Amino acid sequence: MTEAVFRETAADPRTQAVPLAHLSLELGHLYMEDFEAGPERLRQHFAQVRPWVDAARAAAAARAGGKRPRISTCFLIDDYFTRFSSPAELVPLLLAEADRAGLVVDYLARESGCAVTGKVPVAEAVAGRIVESPPPGSYGLRPPAAQTGWLANGVRSPVARAPQAMKKAAAWQPPKETAARRHSVFLDVELWSDDAGGHRTWSCPFLAAVWQLARLGLLRNEGEPVFVPQPHTAPGFPDDWDELPALVRLNPRADPFAAYRTCSVLPSRFLPVEHAVRVILDQTEVDRGALRQVAERSAREQVAVPDSVADRVSYVFYAGS
Amino acid sequence: MRALEDAGSAPHAVLACGEVRTCLLPARQALDVRAAAQLLGLRADERVLLSERPNLYARSPDTLTGVDCPLPSANGAHVRAVGTVAARAALTEGRVLQTSAYFRLPAAGPDRRRPWGHYLVRPGTVEPFGKLPHEAVAQGVLDGGRHGELDVGLIAGGLLTRLLRHPLLDQRPPLRSRPTRLRWVALPAEGGEGPSIERFTLAEDELRTVRLRVPEGTPAADAAGLCDDLALHDWLLTTVVRLLDGIRLGSEPPSARVGPGTQDPPAVVRALRPAVDHLLHLWMPRARVAKELAPLWEALEERPGFTRQWQALVQRIRDQLTLHAIPTLYREVEPAP
Repeated sequence: MTEAVFRETAADPRTQAVPLAHLSLELGHLYMEDFEAGPERLRQHFAQVRPWVDAARAAAAARAGGKRPRISTCFLIDDYFTRFSSPAELVPLLLAEADRAGLVVDYLARESGCAVTGKVPVAEAVAGRIVESPPPGSYGLRPPAAQTGWLANGVRSPVARAPQAMKKAAAWQPPKETAARRHSVFLDVELWSDDAGGHRTWSCPFLAAVWQLARLGLLRNEGEPVFVPQPHTAPGFPDDWDELPALVRLNPRADPFAAYRTCSVLPSRFLPVEHAVRVILDQTEVDRGALRQVAERSAREQVAVPDSVADRVSYVFYAGS
Repeated sequence: MRALEDAGSAPHAVLACGEVRTCLLPARQALDVRAAAQLLGLRADERVLLSERPNLYARSPDTLTGVDCPLPSANGAHVRAVGTVAARAALTEGRVLQTSAYFRLPAAGPDRRRPWGHYLVRPGTVEPFGKLPHEAVAQGVLDGGRHGELDVGLIAGGLLTRLLRHPLLDQRPPLRSRPTRLRWVALPAEGGEGPSIERFTLAEDELRTVRLRVPEGTPAADAAGLCDDLALHDWLLTTVVRLLDGIRLGSEPPSARVGPGTQDPPAVVRALRPAVDHLLHLWMPRARVAKELAPLWEALEERPGFTRQWQALVQRIRDQLTLHAIPTLYREVEPAP
């Protein structure tokens, strides 16, 4: 506590550091229906991704100022919303198609790992870190976001009540984006839904926000890193998605998974999802220890990292659905 | 990048403010360490800090509340500010629950609101629009703002209300007591001087205000830690004084005494015993105050003499209990205050 002579480990907050690359480059974020469409779809995807990957690498090299930038690539498979086939069947296919386009997938992640990794309820923990952007006039009352399961980038339109007899119905009022420049682009994001049995399903944008935080090296559980890559040592891949670790390092010589910045190359149909991701990231308070470690390390390396977490994330949207 | 590095140090805060709520935990039994960790686990992924030396103490992780509103000010200046207020809860010896909300203010800020992500990487900092009239705002905070102005007490109170509803608490406190509020501000000390308490005021029944001067660079969390400690001990004094106030010493009818045919202890013993069971061992000033701020306690020990008063109260309780342990037969006179 105040005296260095006596220390209690349980009284000392400690955050374990993770290795960091300059850029985490996402080569795709595909759903089961994409796989269902067959190898042709994957082939098209990687062919379209390839030039943008080269561009992202060149941009990272320019930012690194002459030094070799550390860049790792990753690929996210959705096994959360739908289950299809098996890792044994799909992963080799995916890697073969990436290879055909001249791309290497360093890390492979499962989307359900963004909900729960091992025994750690990652999504729930991140939900507990949401600090809503206060609209003007917020003087200390806590907005009830955590209860409703929705997160907006501004003030919602007031609920229209049924007009009572003798009273005129209240005029409609527009919602307002808090950071609007003159005109609003208001967005209200559903973070989760609960079924009748109380089972919670996290929304795709929310899990994608968790995925971004993982790639930025900003997730911790009681000070321990959450998304730790497991080496891939077995000859093949398991028959059940649950047997595949949440994050696998496929390339033993890969640069670290987590990075100062992320870039995702995605088809443009992901644009609304990623807008929602930005709204979530902009209102999530990340682990302070992790934030400090990134700041200190990047300062030592003289790498510029944007202050705000949402600004560390970038995208390339290619034409396609 | 620089801005983030600077977040901890420059621009230096010219004012830190906060409010502490202190109350008896409404539970028959004091909570053990594990239950304390459960009560204070405000975040699924952050540990509750637990400490056993020099006494049992548990503290929740900080939570943030976003604000965008005018600051209270004594001279009516209208200063809008945006940022986050930090709040945390602590439990001492499983018995006294405190919630503490605080924030720091830099000398000046930009004239418009920045993206929210900017404020979230500066937890517990509220940035003024333009220049901060820090003396006027400090006084405004202590006086209590008007409706719609930043209300740090509302945030501390909200957290307390939330914790008091926890299912671990059976709502059967062992003694009657009232919660207290302590509002504080910390202004920069004059060039090179050490920390000092300018004023400690017992304002209303349950409200105390503290005005501190601290050296530049003193973390707001440290000032909050000192004020938590002051609030805890002030609450203990207040509670025990009230307890002794509420009983009539030495004037009980003989029927209330231990006598043949009755096992009931006398009313005085019944009233004082919870203090012995639950409060007397809690006095431990400076247990977790930052080294740089610990000397401030000495001023309060000098005058009014917090520990002196506490020892006198404890002695009085012990004397009463001793007197009641002596069989009536040998008492020449009734025990009197």
